[in-house]
Amino acid sequence: MAIDGLIILDPTGRPIIQSSYTTYPAAYPLLHIEALNNALAKAPREGSVDPVIYVGELSCSSACCHVEVGGMRFLATISGDVDPLIAFAFLDAFTEILQDYFGVVSVATLKDNFDIVYQLLEETLDSSGHPLTTSPNLLSDIVLSPSLISKLLASVSATPGVPSVRQGGSFGSNGASGAFTSPIPWRKAGVRHNHNEILFDVVEEMRGIVGKNGTTLASNVFGKIESNSKLSGTPDLTLTFTNPNVMADCAFHPCVRLQKWTRDNALSFVPPEGRFILADYQYRPPQSAVVSNVPIPLSLKANMDMGEFGGTFALTLTSRLIKVMENLELKFYLGEDATSAQCTLSSAGSSVGSVGSADGSWSFNSRTKTLQWEILNMRSSGSWILRGSWTSKIKAPRPAHAFQIRFEIPSYSFSSLKVDQLRLSSETYKMYKGVRMRSKGSIEWRW
Amino acid sequence: MDGINLNALSENATRLGMRIQETIAEHTRDLSLTRGGSSLFDMADDKAKNITKQLESSSDREKLDAMKRLIALISKNRPVSSYFPAVVKNVASPNLELRKLVYIYLLRCAPSEPDLALLSINTFQRDLADPSPLIRAMALRVLSGIRVPTVATIVLMAVRKSAADPSPYVRKAAALAVIKVHKVDQAHHPTLLDIMTTLLRDRSPLSLGTAVLALDTIAPSRLDLLHVHFRRLCRALPDIDAWGQVDVLRVLVRYVRTMLPKPVPASERQGEEVDKDLKLLLACAEPLFMNKNPAVVLAVARAFYYLAPSSMLSKISAPLLRLLSVSREVERVALAYLLVVARSHPVLFITSHNRFLVRVDDAEQVKRRKISVLLALCTADNHQTLLREFMDYAQDTDDSVVGDAIHAIGRIASLVPSSTPQCLTALMGMINSKQDTIVSNAVLVLKSLVQNQLLTPSSTSTTTLPTPFSSQQALLASSIPSLTPSISTSLSAAPLSFTSTESTSVAQAPLSIIAQLAQRIDDIRHPHARACVLWLVGQYGSVTGTKTAVEGVADWAPDVLRKAARSFNTEASLVKLQTLTLAAKLILLAPTHRTLVLLAQYVFTLARYDEDWDVRDRARMLRTLLVGAVTGIMSSNDEDGVGENWNKEEQAGRPGVVLRREQVTRVLFEGKTGTIEEELVADARPLGTLSLVMESESLHLHDDDDDETVIDLPEWLEQGIDPALRDSDDDAPQVASSVQAISSQATSSQRVPTPAGSTPVVLTPIGGSTPKDTKDWRDLNKFYASESESEDESEEEERNGIGEHSSEDEETSEDEEDEGVAEHDPSSSHERAS
Repeated sequence: MAIDGLIILDPTGRPIIQSSYTTYPAAYPLLHIEALNNALAKAPREGSVDPVIYVGELSCSSACCHVEVGGMRFLATISGDVDPLIAFAFLDAFTEILQDYFGVVSVATLKDNFDIVYQLLEETLDSSGHPLTTSPNLLSDIVLSPSLISKLLASVSATPGVPSVRQGGSFGSNGASGAFTSPIPWRKAGVRHNHNEILFDVVEEMRGIVGKNGTTLASNVFGKIESNSKLSGTPDLTLTFTNPNVMADCAFHPCVRLQKWTRDNALSFVPPEGRFILADYQYRPPQSAVVSNVPIPLSLKANMDMGEFGGTFALTLTSRLIKVMENLELKFYLGEDATSAQCTLSSAGSSVGSVGSADGSWSFNSRTKTLQWEILNMRSSGSWILRGSWTSKIKAPRPAHAFQIRFEIPSYSFSSLKVDQLRLSSETYKMYKGVRMRSKGSIEWRW
Repeated sequence: MDGINLNALSENATRLGMRIQETIAEHTRDLSLTRGGSSLFDMADDKAKNITKQLESSSDREKLDAMKRLIALISKNRPVSSYFPAVVKNVASPNLELRKLVYIYLLRCAPSEPDLALLSINTFQRDLADPSPLIRAMALRVLSGIRVPTVATIVLMAVRKSAADPSPYVRKAAALAVIKVHKVDQAHHPTLLDIMTTLLRDRSPLSLGTAVLALDTIAPSRLDLLHVHFRRLCRALPDIDAWGQVDVLRVLVRYVRTMLPKPVPASERQGEEVDKDLKLLLACAEPLFMNKNPAVVLAVARAFYYLAPSSMLSKISAPLLRLLSVSREVERVALAYLLVVARSHPVLFITSHNRFLVRVDDAEQVKRRKISVLLALCTADNHQTLLREFMDYAQDTDDSVVGDAIHAIGRIASLVPSSTPQCLTALMGMINSKQDTIVSNAVLVLKSLVQNQLLTPSSTSTTTLPTPFSSQQALLASSIPSLTPSISTSLSAAPLSFTSTESTSVAQAPLSIIAQLAQRIDDIRHPHARACVLWLVGQYGSVTGTKTAVEGVADWAPDVLRKAARSFNTEASLVKLQTLTLAAKLILLAPTHRTLVLLAQYVFTLARYDEDWDVRDRARMLRTLLVGAVTGIMSSNDEDGVGENWNKEEQAGRPGVVLRREQVTRVLFEGKTGTIEEELVADARPLGTLSLVMESESLHLHDDDDDETVIDLPEWLEQGIDPALRDSDDDAPQVASSVQAISSQATSSQRVPTPAGSTPVVLTPIGGSTPKDTKDWRDLNKFYASESESEDESEEEERNGIGEHSSEDEETSEDEEDEGVAEHDPSSSHERAS
């Protein structure tokens, strides 16, 4: 009647790490792994696997909820009629913890630190199936991170005799005075930094859909304030914005005092140590009461001609932005039976060859059957043209009826959210503050 | 030249790279003396032999190394229980790092090796008194993990001791241990309940959530134990960790449903009537909508959806929509819940329907759910937009999505009758598509649309009852009851008599659609769709007047029969059956037309020797039916003896009924109810359950979990229980009244609120529970002390409404040596609680 356990599969589908399934039949985890691997093998295209897979072979009803992390599959098995959202929230929290501990989550780092991963697993998920401690700051007192210091400490303690006792003792007292009695569950007490700083990254993502006739059907901007805090003591911060009204439907880290936000639109919080996401929001254009369509910063003209056993196309992509767009990427799924594609690429009238130049290139992935077109830099009101044709095994080809466009815009925000000031109370030191803006977009353009 | 240079360069580069790698590896080996690394993880099995020796060595380093090897073995599912004795010796090791690994080993192996674990039980008991809360909690977890009923008393003692532990971390472990002990042996239920009463009084939000969870697991029906804690739980809600919030909210939803009166919706005479405790819960839960954890957001939405008065329901829409943008996985799950809410309360999402538009890179389930949600939001105002959307989705690369989208177009036509012509045009356009799936789905939808249209204008009383079978297959079944006039009267003979001007004008468009379908019969290959067209042609292939080539039959009909007859042998059974029906209907319309009769005879003969029983039976049935109406259908063409004999036998006065033509017409053509698209069944599954998410596969879940659902979301009670039961010493404003009540009994001068009993017994609907709050008053001095205290503080507490919660925090923070913390903490809890 909860999360039964967690299994981490490597890219080939074999388990690397697995929580204990002692109260379940031996076949239980295997059945889930098999169900997932089968589903992945059957999936016609990337991302089309159902994230919740029902496993019905067992006497009790159960399902496996899975996400992809760093090429691996993290899989939480649930039984009984529980909310799969709990499983996904747990997987998310666990991934965040691993990132906090190892920086990069990959097969190599997990294998290198498997003993720590097991300790983390025991601490985060009780054998009764309920999440235990998932706050990274709390965990860092229980499970030592593999940083250099802990390595040295361990090697010191490895010499038999007095030092190990001292270390054990100091840890015990540390554990007692640290996490468990810290009045703030997300922050450990007694942190000291020589250089105090806090950085904010405001990342906004536009998700839009443009219809066949070029009208915007939907476009929403979702923002995230990511923070990295290295502050001593118990800093009580107040972050204010000049235009807080552009933020709607907010969600906050547990450290934010919700009452204060609803009252004065100011973020008042005691930050946890290290990286964390302070807030999520949706951009609400100030002129309208409801969250409405935000203008899309580019335009695409597509001339499609579908024939038998293939088709031809001519795409013109134009930027409507004053800023430079980066890493523009257009994807076009040509259908299961597509066999090949040929394109020429040109920029603002001049041809740059069939494969492309350093600035732009195209490729056809015969495994995913996707045509991909990349432009590294798209200048203001710049325009690119891609012409080409593709072939297919069947008479009436079935390409997707939409292009997927992704782009990034550095130091730009759709909402022009502006930080007014960051005040520090309860501590006296000076701190370094930094705010950065970044935007990206993912647009679906139908034809 | 360049090439050589390049080669030399790259060779040098790789060499250098290898050198660097080697040096790094060497250096790190020095540093990471105990860092396991993948070398340990991927170690060969034969090295495992050394583990026991290593474990018995005196060096902690060796032991650590051995433990890591053991854990690597565990993760590869190798048997490791043989090392148990050697490992257990290290459980008292002063090295904490080693001890933790030992405990991880024990947590894994103790449940499967209970006998070995029993040997070391003393060690665990000793560890329960360890100064480190971490060790105490781990020892308790191992102890409760040993699933042997005989040691249950020892474990129970350990749990009881830990339930009063100063560290909330250990108390949390104690609550979880309660669940485990309960699983092993239900005999200890009363003792566990006793421990639960201690745990529920917990002040720390860290362990409170787990305590509620434990109560819910071991005694889901004992909601009465929560009476005195209800208000405190509500107020503590913002401070409990996310997982606890989910559990507590789930339990409180159930509590409110069983214990509180249902909110009375606003009427003309008076406004909404909501219980103040329910108001408190909703007010405390509402800020949690801003939580980052999607499970919490859903839990709050669930509470509002099932408890809140309708005026507050609008608060759930924005947070639920936010879940859609969290991640692909969360979107998938949230859509299942949104669909339920959208179906019951479409108003909440109508303005934001563009959040549900399908993207081509969505997973198949997501696309299909989005289409369902969009349909649920369809109104007369937005149907144009939705129709355009569905037409786009019909070009999807996923067959099931195409099917859903086209059926959705059909639904729009029936939901918004004025849009029918547009929908028909859209569907007719799809008939010309090159994609098989689009064509066949469009035909299926067109068929039901056309049929419904032809039926509705003539039958003013819409008595078209939904039939459990689809109409093509219902032919046989429905022909029998339609003999009785009572059913068929209301449905006038639409296909035969288009005489009334009203019905012809409306029916004109559908008939031309059938004509177009008939002409394209060669391109419609999907058996289901083909069968549909054949049925339509037969059913509506009649015309009045003599302008057609065959009298009484539309011009396009006979050719369809010709084509179907030609390909009869290669068709699917479904199509064969409909070909027979078509043949029977056409010759009934033109019984004297020789070519048609010959064609029909040809088809009937083929069907008689068909492999499929159904086809043979249908042919025989239709033939017998037509004996009286069409001359020559039986006798003329049957050269072989069987038919002759049978025929003769029949004519020789077997007591059978020979129907006249009018009667046969009635049998074949009338009483066809329109197909009703599957009505949306109100989903009985509550939000936040797996079976709702796995809608299509929920059959299995349905069977065994029905009782659980009832428990999980009970119906509202007629009346709530006495709110005074929820009064407790925690409640600042209520403290006064509760104290009064008790003191009134002490002095016996005022009215007694509880009707029976000399103590303020908590009234429980489900049998005898021990009154918990009486325990607090055992000590008379304590009672008087708290009374005066509460009187002193009542004013202040009423103002900030956080009562003892904040004062408790103040106490703990005063113990803190860190000044900054002490200053900070009460203010923070104040902010969040008030």
